[in-house]
Amino acid sequence: MDLLYAKVGAHEVEISTESKDFKNFIQRNFSIFKGKTSDPDIKITIKKGFGEPFVNYHVEVSKHEEKILFRRADYLIETVFDYRYSVIYAHNEFALKHAITNLYSSFIVYHNWGLLIHSSCAIENGKAHIFSGQSGAGKSTAAKLSAPRELLSDEATILMIDDGKVTVFDSPFRSELQATGTNKTVPLASIQLLHQSLHNNRMNLKKSDALIQLLDKVFYWAHSPKETKQVIKLLNKLVETVPVYDPHFQKNNRFWELIS
Amino acid sequence: MARYVQKSSYESTHLDNEWIILNTDDYTVTKLNDIGGFCWSLLEAEQTLESLTQAVGREYLETKVSEREIEEFLSQLMECGLVKYAV
Repeated sequence: MDLLYAKVGAHEVEISTESKDFKNFIQRNFSIFKGKTSDPDIKITIKKGFGEPFVNYHVEVSKHEEKILFRRADYLIETVFDYRYSVIYAHNEFALKHAITNLYSSFIVYHNWGLLIHSSCAIENGKAHIFSGQSGAGKSTAAKLSAPRELLSDEATILMIDDGKVTVFDSPFRSELQATGTNKTVPLASIQLLHQSLHNNRMNLKKSDALIQLLDKVFYWAHSPKETKQVIKLLNKLVETVPVYDPHFQKNNRFWELIS
Repeated sequence: MARYVQKSSYESTHLDNEWIILNTDDYTVTKLNDIGGFCWSLLEAEQTLESLTQAVGREYLETKVSEREIEEFLSQLMECGLVKYAV
């Protein structure tokens, strides 16, 4: 069985699969490096042929002795308590993408490394800016209107959260716009929680409101109080470090005038 | 006299004079202002309406808070699943 080595965030992932389609998918969407790493952070075995095509986003989490299972109609993840070793059974590429997103998000929360936030992210003058908000508020529109600025994500932004410093990594978890495979890491300068509006203006959100509004933007499947606390702690550091704005957003690219 | 206490020692986060209490049993969050957060922290031990009202009066000299307001606040915290009657 061939092994693939991919870089996700700051982590090295060893992937093994017998499926040609899945192997192609991984090579197309992830930053692959040649040779092998002696000590990957995450090991995943991927198997094809599970469940049915996408039904909905409902994920059932259950625990069995040493194992944690995440089950959706189109994928099943069998993993261990620290998420280092996993087997993913996926129906198709779409299911596989979401399963890896689910797994990686759980991994970085558990290891207190950072968060995966449902958002797009663009670079302006060497600083990263996140666009998030309710579905339909304009995350992907903001991403498209940000051209020619470089995008670090269009759907799921990878944040490394340290005390006093938040860094964005290029995200392989894309919906439409392909990752450029940049190994750049960029400091995060702002979070914009979008609302659609006829006018462009923005307000600074109170930290507590920012935290509450960001809570449901984290890719996270609650199943243990300990991990939920970890999410809150990471969000707390995030809103202490980075300003969060509440912009009312017109569908044209002039919103950048307010940001930078 | 009824005595009140935290239902469980839920995690709280303090941000710019506001508090966020995370109920890890129901996966809900509750936001409190400064005085609310002060009361929450006292409720680690059993409290009565009288003891809470007096403590708030000592801590916040500028703000007048009545026992009735404290009672309303406590019933809201009970609805949010954060506080219970002490038995």
